[in-house]
Amino acid sequence: MTFSPALEARFAKLLTIYPEGRQRSAVVPMLMYAQDEVGCVTRELVEEVARRCGVQPMQVDEVIGYYSMLHTKPLGKYHIQVCTNISCLLTGGEELYEHAKKTLGIGNKEVTPDGLFSLEEVECMGACSWAPAVEVNYDFHHHVTCEKLDRLIEDLRKLK
Amino acid sequence: MKRTTLEFRMPKVNEVLGSAAAIVKGMSVTFREMMQPTITDLYPDAPPEFEERYRGKHVLQRDENGLEKCVACFLCAAACPANCIYIEAAENTDAKRISGGERYAEVYNIDYSRCIFCGYCVEACPTDAITHGHGFELAGYSTSDLVMRKEDMLAPVPEGAHFPLLVPTAVAGGGGH
Amino acid sequence: MSDIVHLTVDGKAIEAPPGTLLINAVKRAGIEIPAFCYYDGLKLQAACRMCLVEVEKTPKLQVACTLPVAEGMVVHTDTPTVHEARKGMVEFLLTNHPLDCPVCDKGGECELQDMTFRYGFGESRFLEQKQHIDEKQWSAVVYFDRPRCINCYRCIRVCDEGMGLTALGITNRGVLAEIIPNEHDHLNCDECGMCIDICPVGALTSGMYRYKTRPWEMKHVGTICTHCSNGCKTTLGVRNDEIIRGNNRDRSGLNGEFLCIKGRYAFDFTHHAERLQSPLVRRNGKLEAASWSEALAEVAKNWTAIKQRGGRFGVIGSTRTTNEENFFLQKFARQVLGTNNIDHHRSGDVPTLLDALSGRTDALATTADFYERKAVLIVGADLSQEQPFLAWQVRANVRHHNAHIYVATPGPVREDRVAAASVRYQEGGELASLENLREKLRAEPELVVAFGDAIQGDAVRQLVNFGDSLGVPVKYVALLDYSNSRGALDMGLLPHLGPGYHAVDTPGMSLAAMLADESLDALWVVGANPLGRHVLAASKPFVVVQDLFLTDTAEHAAVVFPAASAYEKSGTVTNLCGEVQRLEAAIKVAGTKPDLEIFGLLAREMGANLGIWQASKIFEEIRGSVRGYNIPLPILTTGGAAQTAALNGHVPAPPRAERIQAAHNTLFTSGSLGQFSRTLQVVLEAPGALYQGR
Repeated sequence: MTFSPALEARFAKLLTIYPEGRQRSAVVPMLMYAQDEVGCVTRELVEEVARRCGVQPMQVDEVIGYYSMLHTKPLGKYHIQVCTNISCLLTGGEELYEHAKKTLGIGNKEVTPDGLFSLEEVECMGACSWAPAVEVNYDFHHHVTCEKLDRLIEDLRKLK
Repeated sequence: MKRTTLEFRMPKVNEVLGSAAAIVKGMSVTFREMMQPTITDLYPDAPPEFEERYRGKHVLQRDENGLEKCVACFLCAAACPANCIYIEAAENTDAKRISGGERYAEVYNIDYSRCIFCGYCVEACPTDAITHGHGFELAGYSTSDLVMRKEDMLAPVPEGAHFPLLVPTAVAGGGGH
Repeated sequence: MSDIVHLTVDGKAIEAPPGTLLINAVKRAGIEIPAFCYYDGLKLQAACRMCLVEVEKTPKLQVACTLPVAEGMVVHTDTPTVHEARKGMVEFLLTNHPLDCPVCDKGGECELQDMTFRYGFGESRFLEQKQHIDEKQWSAVVYFDRPRCINCYRCIRVCDEGMGLTALGITNRGVLAEIIPNEHDHLNCDECGMCIDICPVGALTSGMYRYKTRPWEMKHVGTICTHCSNGCKTTLGVRNDEIIRGNNRDRSGLNGEFLCIKGRYAFDFTHHAERLQSPLVRRNGKLEAASWSEALAEVAKNWTAIKQRGGRFGVIGSTRTTNEENFFLQKFARQVLGTNNIDHHRSGDVPTLLDALSGRTDALATTADFYERKAVLIVGADLSQEQPFLAWQVRANVRHHNAHIYVATPGPVREDRVAAASVRYQEGGELASLENLREKLRAEPELVVAFGDAIQGDAVRQLVNFGDSLGVPVKYVALLDYSNSRGALDMGLLPHLGPGYHAVDTPGMSLAAMLADESLDALWVVGANPLGRHVLAASKPFVVVQDLFLTDTAEHAAVVFPAASAYEKSGTVTNLCGEVQRLEAAIKVAGTKPDLEIFGLLAREMGANLGIWQASKIFEEIRGSVRGYNIPLPILTTGGAAQTAALNGHVPAPPRAERIQAAHNTLFTSGSLGQFSRTLQVVLEAPGALYQGR
């Protein structure tokens, strides 16, 4: 499996920063970076990361099962993550999530037919002080209301 | 002194009255019982009656679907002080289902030449599969006749139930539980 | 830092070496701390939280399985808080654990069941519907029932650390956490069953034992595995004269709890449909069932006639029969038949090794040495495949003692992963390849050398010279094939050597020579199948075979006797390291007789007096007459393994070098016997291959 030169360079560095014999530690960051480039964690990627880190493919599967931010199915171009953990829940996270479901017409971990949006109900993202929070890909949006969310989705739709 | 004098004077009268009283007492029981319903069983001319909890020959129960309740856990055999229960277990398959659990007793024998009808097996059973029935006519000409097999003890299949449960292979799936 | 740490547990003063884990330290004081995930010899996990104890001056309960003892530590294991914690843990573990103990194969010997009885609440506060997930079958051997799993990681650790395979993993988190096999929906592994054995609950269960019986219904018989030469003890569960399972849960015997697929499951040949249960005599060209007296008379008549006209006998012994049987057989051949034409299928050059080491003591390795010595050199063997227990010892040695492993093999092996250095050679380059390791080996404080049949004859002497030149203490072991391959050599099933490696006056024919001899008149094959790979040159010899099955050899026989297997007789066997252990008869198969009894009956039929044919009596004779076998009986009778004393004297070298060719069984083959084990036939990995690096 081939990656972009930038990612290859990153991988090469990752394998050197852990102590000798602990290359298994590079599995998580490798999967994260590769997921951004490939779109999701494919079977091929699992085998590749396993080979590079010197572990069994099953041991990479263990990691994928454990970390919820690693996805085995392709996501939308904009992955909208709504927090419904305690602080956000108290300030309307639940309603926000329901609203997002209705607006986008999709459920948890589903993708819109045009492939533009995907939705996920997530646990705490550490943005409790500005609850309720929504994360789109890697960008945070604070104090989100249903109207703000609608505007955000509209803006993203225009952006394409 | 007075009493002795009376007895001495009227010994015969006393005797007669005493005997008469005894007869009346005895006959009163007789006459009272004559009015009561009879309790003698007319066995073998008529079937005998049993108390509900009489411990007779075992019955292996079925559930409402006709499946055997026994899951061959061997706990009855373990509890048996006379060591008279012998079991061989087998697994239900998707296509052929004998019991409600994952497994069933392929062989279930009770040796009635050893059974002491203590009821420990009934008490040990986690699925209420084995119970004491009222069967008691267990005499035979040979001790080997006294080893009852599962078929000899199973309760009849309830009306309308299908047993064993045979699922066409094409439809079979999941299952096993 | 002092050598001893003092601590108080429940008011008792306890001493322990520094670094001892609290859970182990208290055991010596007779205090039990319950635990699920802790397992002696495996890495610490601290997953089950069952071993919580109160330690003074610490705010919270402490996990005893990861807490090393400290000076002045005051521990309480018997307080209301601790009891409460244990009850809570058991209740928690039972949240979604099905209460199907009556149909669970683990019921009756389940650690969770025992702990619930001992430490749990009588009832649960969880009234919610339990989540059911269907049981999965991962291989012919392994079944997984997820709701029963308590996530103790024992199976994962034993597979990864103990077996060096990493065939099991765990995915997802929390209540969704689930053990997974390496091939998504099935396992591709050694099928050793260690994960099943080590599972404290009934989450992993065995396909071979599945629903057959309950633990308390069986009689448990500790005996020695009949397959490879490592001599593992296997405890056979027997019901109605049928072996139902094998394991070694009590960790007795030299192998501890270790067993490979053969020791744990491949006992099923005993009830194979093709098992011989009556003597067969050839009449009109066809083998027909006959009575024992007819068959014995037929053999005695022919042998007497052949002997009288000065015919040539050939006797081939077995590598699976007991020492007593082998001793009696060679005595029979030499005294009654009057021939030295006796041999067996040799698999390692032990005589040359013993000769090269003559005069030394402490130069023969034991199986324990593979675990204890600081360095191990493996030459010409795929240890994990051919000698599974030695490989287990080597892996444990690396894990526990940081031992250095050196590998010289023709192809990749599993030991490469833990090896300090590996070299590859082309056939013939075995000794030359060791030169690449010389500098590293020289730096080791001590060494154990295990070598396969690639090293034989003069090469053995050169290997010993190489070892001497290192300047460190070296112990050796020649790797062999079957459970009593070593015993067959020691008992003198050799044309040129008698019991105890004493030279005979006139050496007889070797196995190959016998089969190639066109004028051979009689061939007697006991528990071997030489015609499976050789051709018999003689045109019409009188062939007598004693075996479990109608093998290729038995099909050529005039008379076939149905023999009992190693699981059906008593006696002793000697493993490849010279450790003698006792067999215990587990079952009796109708119609068969132990080989020893067949020998005895044949001797009587021929009017010869070879003494009483009782294993214990013959073993007395062996102890008195075979060099090295004067071992202490108490060790044997208590189920231990006594190593035969190192031989101290010259062993006459064979008059002509015969090429020794071992069977090189994988984990899933076991010579002719393997094909009659259903288990070995049905696993997907069978028959396996050597030098695949797995």
